[in-house]
Amino acid sequence: MQSTFDRRRINGPEESLPPVFISEPQDTFSNTPVARKSRKVSDIRPIFLQPGLITQANGSAYIETERTKIACSVYGPRQSKNTAYNEKGKLNVEVKFAPFSCEHRRAPLRDAEDRSIAVAIQQALLPSVQLEHFPKSTIDVFVIILEADGIEGCIASGAIAASTALANAGIDMYGLVTSCAAAVIEADIWVDPTQEESNTANGTLVLSCMPALGIVTNSWQTGRMTPSELLACIDACSGRCTDIHSVVAQGLLNSAHDET
Amino acid sequence: MASDLVLPGQPIPLPRGPVPQLGRGVYEKDEQVRASLVGVPHFEGSSLVISRLRPQPPAPNSVVLGSITRLSPLQALLSITVVDDIPLPPGEEFTGVIRSQDVRATEKDKVKIGDCFRGGDVVRGLVISLGDARSYFITTARNDLGVIFATSEAGATMEPVSWQEMRCPKTGKIEKRKCAKPEGLS
Amino acid sequence: MASARPSPIIPTATAGKTSSHVAQKEANKAAIFQRLHPRIYLERFLEEKIRPDGRSIAQNDEGDNAWRNVEVNVGSITTASGSALVRIGNTTVVCGVKAEICEPDLDNPSEGFLVPNVDLPALCSPKFKPGPPTEEAQVLSEKLNEVLGNGMLPLSSLCIHSGKSAWVLYVDATVINYDGNVFDATLLAMVCALKNVMLPHASYDPDVNRTICTRPGVDPTKPSRKLVIQEDLVPYGFSFGVFACSHILPDPSASEEPLLDTSISIILDSHAQVLAVSQLGAGVDTEYEASGPDLDDTPARKADTLAECISLARNRLAILLNKVYDTMN
Repeated sequence: MQSTFDRRRINGPEESLPPVFISEPQDTFSNTPVARKSRKVSDIRPIFLQPGLITQANGSAYIETERTKIACSVYGPRQSKNTAYNEKGKLNVEVKFAPFSCEHRRAPLRDAEDRSIAVAIQQALLPSVQLEHFPKSTIDVFVIILEADGIEGCIASGAIAASTALANAGIDMYGLVTSCAAAVIEADIWVDPTQEESNTANGTLVLSCMPALGIVTNSWQTGRMTPSELLACIDACSGRCTDIHSVVAQGLLNSAHDET
Repeated sequence: MASDLVLPGQPIPLPRGPVPQLGRGVYEKDEQVRASLVGVPHFEGSSLVISRLRPQPPAPNSVVLGSITRLSPLQALLSITVVDDIPLPPGEEFTGVIRSQDVRATEKDKVKIGDCFRGGDVVRGLVISLGDARSYFITTARNDLGVIFATSEAGATMEPVSWQEMRCPKTGKIEKRKCAKPEGLS
Repeated sequence: MASARPSPIIPTATAGKTSSHVAQKEANKAAIFQRLHPRIYLERFLEEKIRPDGRSIAQNDEGDNAWRNVEVNVGSITTASGSALVRIGNTTVVCGVKAEICEPDLDNPSEGFLVPNVDLPALCSPKFKPGPPTEEAQVLSEKLNEVLGNGMLPLSSLCIHSGKSAWVLYVDATVINYDGNVFDATLLAMVCALKNVMLPHASYDPDVNRTICTRPGVDPTKPSRKLVIQEDLVPYGFSFGVFACSHILPDPSASEEPLLDTSISIILDSHAQVLAVSQLGAGVDTEYEASGPDLDDTPARKADTLAECISLARNRLAILLNKVYDTMN
């Protein structure tokens, strides 16, 4: 739905709707998963990760996992304004969807989904940042989702990009955070599900961890799964997190070399 | 050297013997020294550090540069733009305050803030403490600290003539400032 | 954006870093000086006939590097009907077009809508904070709306069924890295995204009062189509800043922009005809106190400024058109 008139923006018609298509041969609302063509259920999508593209920021990273495209920048540590004296720093995470990032246009008003993704990313990062080094300060992490292909993928890729950007910004951390999602689809565990795949899932899990330390920083599970399925998901995710860690490490090393 | 770059969380191999003192950019957990920054670990004196090249917030003993934004009889407000020789990005700043008792080392109770600073002056200071919720406490009570750049009432860049006076090259008029001892000019 | 593989060299504010410790210190000193005295810093560079980022001072001969490099990539956002990523130097803008269906305005029953908006998120620069559009974003959106509404895309071509159904194109640009001259970059991103749009075939069914679309490739008799774009009227923006009443700086960067007295934008069509000229700040042909060396011939100089900008823009247009042509084909 189009939001009401906003004098701070260029306004379109009062109401507009996404195009409606004539029904197609295959029923798009069926709940049967379509078998993966280009990867196995245990594979993640290839990751392209580039730190440092946003030169105006203290640190930044751009991540692309097939259709999911996310930019992240880190500002600060900035002096916390309008808050009481605090021995520890604050980690502030804001997530924004570009209006064109999803199947339906996202009118430029914050909805609940932005915030729940921001909280999930913040929780994934919090245990990794040495906030005691930044009294009275706030570290701002801004994430923009340019194209989304599943909320789980957005949280996982967003957390990876944010952790990379924090390292690029020279923020003291205990370790790099990587993140991976898995979905229980029928009886199988599908790693790194797309939007379409997670629509058919019984339940999903996003696991974030610091592979260098063997510590889980956050897990976010939704939907139905048995305890053994949950454990299987954790296993699958933590294995992939280690793989992703080497991608992040390579990206950071390359960009550190370019800078020196 | 390429192989020497480490990443946050990566163990830093140390020669056998006593564990060195740990400085910034490294930490110890479960008897393993690890990096907390991207960089090359090295020794600064006896402590192991990874240097940060990025802007950072002021900490006690940081040398800061900034410009005076507000004066009152009791204190001068400083907008800090450079911390430990690393400039903050444009638009970013920390607020510092120079209280009248922190302006100079002697005759502290006779300090008149208006005779030491003017709005717009660029000042070199030292962070004494994290201060209160609003600002960092800064001192200029040292020879090398104080005003390093000031514009006269006539609009010209002034030159220091003593530690408490500056001269306008245009009009020759003397204005009062708490000057920093010039060093090689920057 | 898989194709938008960035260059390995990332020129940042800290780009002065070299392996040598001494050079590092010098670069730091320069950065500190720039932070404390941005105006004098720029003046000193301009005295040496060079810009702080290494560009030459504007000359009317071709092949100069007075402008930053432009890169265009189109079609990488699959959730958009059309999209483009534009980089001018470090300034980066992503634009996506979303096509939706609406009822036409009562006053213009056979026209659709073109709704351009720019977002300057807190991500792109330290000068923005999260929240509603800043004044700058509002002014920018307004300016782009004016330029894009010049007829390059006839709104009648967006009509599906007069009085009942029409396309509305939401042209949303998000600035990812704000390193100056965001107007030129956003306009180019919007133009390229519009050129990249594919609209599905749509037909209005009066019986059910609904518009039904056909997915591309489903029915060969109902193909998707590109937008009807009047190539002659496509606007290209060229922005300049005037510094200290004496220097014309094409394509100003973020560190130069706050120091400019005057901002000028020249909008040209693809035949180098002037479509619009906009000017913000203390005007080129109004009186102002100048203390520059060219005080005597200031009036003449001022009258020339706009003409000089137009001629510089025309020189640049050819290079830009080549770039866009290469990208689109």
